[in-house]
This record gives sequence, C-alpha cells and structure tokens, in this order.
Amino acid sequence: MDALDKLGISWQLLLSQIINFGLLMVILQQLLYKPVLNMLEQRRQRIAEGLEQADKASNAAAEAEAEKQTILEEARREAQEVRAQATRDAERIAQDVRSRTDQEAQEIRMKAQADAEAQTAAVMADARKQIADLAIAATEQILGRELANRDEQERFVADYLAQQNGSGS
Amino acid sequence: MNLLRALVLNARIRNATIGIIVLLVLSVVPVFKAPPPHVELAAEALLEHGPKWFTNGLLTTLLVDLIIILMAVFAVSRMKEIPGAWQNIVEMMVEGMWNLTQSIAGHGSANSRKFFPWVITIFIFVLISNYIGLLPGFGSIGIYHSAAESHAQAELGNQLAMVGAEAVAVAAAAEEGKPVLVPLFRSPSADLNMTLALALISVFMTQFFGVQALGMRYFTKYFKNPFKDGMGAVVGFFELIAEISKIISFSFRLFGNIFAGEVVLLVMAFLVTFLLPSIFYGLELFIGFIQALVFMLLTLAFFTMATVSHDDHH
Repeated sequence: MDALDKLGISWQLLLSQIINFGLLMVILQQLLYKPVLNMLEQRRQRIAEGLEQADKASNAAAEAEAEKQTILEEARREAQEVRAQATRDAERIAQDVRSRTDQEAQEIRMKAQADAEAQTAAVMADARKQIADLAIAATEQILGRELANRDEQERFVADYLAQQNGSGS
Repeated sequence: MNLLRALVLNARIRNATIGIIVLLVLSVVPVFKAPPPHVELAAEALLEHGPKWFTNGLLTTLLVDLIIILMAVFAVSRMKEIPGAWQNIVEMMVEGMWNLTQSIAGHGSANSRKFFPWVITIFIFVLISNYIGLLPGFGSIGIYHSAAESHAQAELGNQLAMVGAEAVAVAAAAEEGKPVLVPLFRSPSADLNMTLALALISVFMTQFFGVQALGMRYFTKYFKNPFKDGMGAVVGFFELIAEISKIISFSFRLFGNIFAGEVVLLVMAFLVTFLLPSIFYGLELFIGFIQALVFMLLTLAFFTMATVSHDDHH
C-alpha cells in the first residue's frame, strides 16, 4: 500500500477517473459521435442521391436525343416518300395526259381519214356516174342516136370503171 | 568557405545565426536560468490543509473534460450539411476513427458500433490529456506549500531526477527547508490514477465483450481441464497472467511516456533555457499522438480478439 501511495494511487481518485471516463463517454456519445455519424451518413446518402439523379438526368437527355434523332429520321423518310410519290403521280398524270392526247389525236385523225375516204368515195361515185353519163352521151353523139338500152350501157360503163379503179389502185 | 560566405551574405541565415547565438548566450545568464526540475511522481494535493483527493491531476482532468465537451459543442451545435472549418475537422477525426475501428472490428459489424464509443473516447481523452501538459504554465504556475509536508515525495522525486550530479545537487539543496511549489495543473496522463483507470476499463471491457460474444465459453481461454488438456491448462494460466499484466503495461506505458516527456522538457530547460526545449516539444507532440493512438488501437485489438472464439481456430 505504501508503494501505491508513493505512486499517488488512491482508490478514490481511481474511482473518480473511472466515473469521469464513463460520463465523458456517455456525453460524447450523445453530443458528438451520434450526430456526426448521422450527419456523415446523411451526407453520404445525399451525395449518392445526387449522383443517381445526375445519372438519371443524363440518361433522359440521351434518350431525348435518340428520340429526336428517330423523329428526324422518320420525318426525313416521310418527306422522301412524299416527294417520290409526288414525282410518280406527276409522271403518271403526264403519261395519262399524253396518252389521252395521243388517243384523241388518233381518233381525230381516223375520223378525218374516214371522212376523207367517204368524201372521196362519194366524189368517186359521183365522178363515175358523170363519166358514165358523159361516156354514154359521147357515145350517143358519136353514134348519133340514143342508145336503146340505156340502163345496160350505164352498168357496163360502171363495171368498166370499177375494174379500172380496182386494177389502178 | 562557402558556408562562411553564406553566413555573411544571406540575410536570413545571418539573422537566424545571430538569433541562435544570442539565445544560447542568454541561456547561461543567471537571470534567465530555469529553476531545477521539480519532479513529482504522484499528483499532489492542491490545498495544503484541504482534502487529499483534490489533486492537480484531478483538476486538470476536469479541465480536459471541459475542453473536449466545448470542442464537441462548437462542432455540433450548428451542424450543417455543408460543414464549416471546425465542424469539418471534428468530422474528419470522428470519421477517421470510425473507419479505423471498422477496419479492425469489421466493416459495418455490430462489434464496430459497440466498440466505437469506447475506443474513440480513449483516443480523444488521452490525446487532449497528453497535449494539455505541453501548454505553458503547466508545472510552472502553482501554490507554495511548506517544505516538510511533501518531503517524502520530494525524496522520491530526487531519486528520479537522473540528470547528472549537478542537477541532483541543486535540486537537493532547493528542497532543504524551502517551501515547495505545487503546480496547479498536471497532465492527467502523468497521473497514474488516470492511466490505471483507463487500463482497468480497457481490460475489464475486454472480458465483458468476450463474455457477451461467447458466453461462459469465453473463460475456457484461461481455464481448461488440466486432466483433459494439460498443455492447454498451462497456456491458459499464462493467458490469465498476460491479461492481468495488460493492466500494468497499459497504465505504465502511457504514464511513463508522458511523465518522462515532461521531465525531459524540464531537464532540457534547466540545462539550456532556450532553443533546446523547442526541439523536444516537437518530439513530445509526436509522442503524445502516438501514445493516444497506441492505447486506442491496443484496446480495439483486444476487444476484437476477445470476441473471437479460440476453439474455432484450432
């Protein structure tokens, strides 16, 4: 006990130091460690959240960009299509118009030809008739008398003319 | 030659050299001579006729408590998500200790949470106790007591002052009949009551956590059936002795380092008043930190080891 006394150790002081430490620990636990560790945890979560949000935002931006690209692509493709369609339509219409015009022209030409042919035929028939008449008249004059069988004569001349015409053309 | 030229030409080096020489010369002038070191192994009662328990060590312990609590209050009272400078420093320290605890006791483990308040309080308390003894005024501001009362303690102090014949002679001369200065403050780490209290707490809590983790099985570490496992019983006996000697090693390691550091500072100031103590102050700052860390780490390691069952290993 004397040695302990020389070293200044006494059970009262020892006990007071133990109690002091215990109290200090309890006080600091409530005052310092808990709030600080809570704050650190809170901040850690906050930072994690912030990073996550930033990630999300950048993802959304990338998505929006991709969507924009697809929409643009779509629009471009549609425009291309519309243009192609328009070109095709125009060509078709032009074709139509051209073919109809051709057809009409053809028709007109055919009609004109038919008319001309009919006219020619009529003129020819007329001419033949006149020629036959003239030929008969001329023959009558040459013969000095009227042919008896006028009808037969006329037919004869017409046959001849028709034969001429047929071999001539 | 170059050194000499630098001494003369470079203004800063020249001034520093002159300063050093002046301080060294002043150190031997009797007016500036420091008093012989007053070495007291035990914390002394402050009041000559007052209670024996009211020692300078106890007073300083309360002062240390106050400083720690004030530092904590300043850091936490206006706690913000974005910390100020002081809050940042305190958070850094607490987080550093928390990570250290986790790295030894296991990350996110229940043990870490259980051990943390004990070990960080040990670290903070010991660190501030170590550093407070380095403040000016510790050991120099005090109350004069009549010589006779503390004569027995002074004798022991003289035996410990191993600074050569001169110092002892001077100190011995000073003790004769003259009143003795009892310092008002004394670093708690240089008071065996404090270091022993911490050692007891550390060793007791080691057993407590051991029993909490393993139940009564924990004590098989010390006591084995000698008829079944003779070697184990012997080893267990040594374990028991080692456990008890931890109390002594814990308390005297801290006490010895800090007490010896203060004595060294006093002796250096006595030998050369200026300059020389400054070098040892730097050393003491380092030792103060290391001892706090050692106490904390050893306690943490013992706590962790106590919670691990030994039977699982073998």
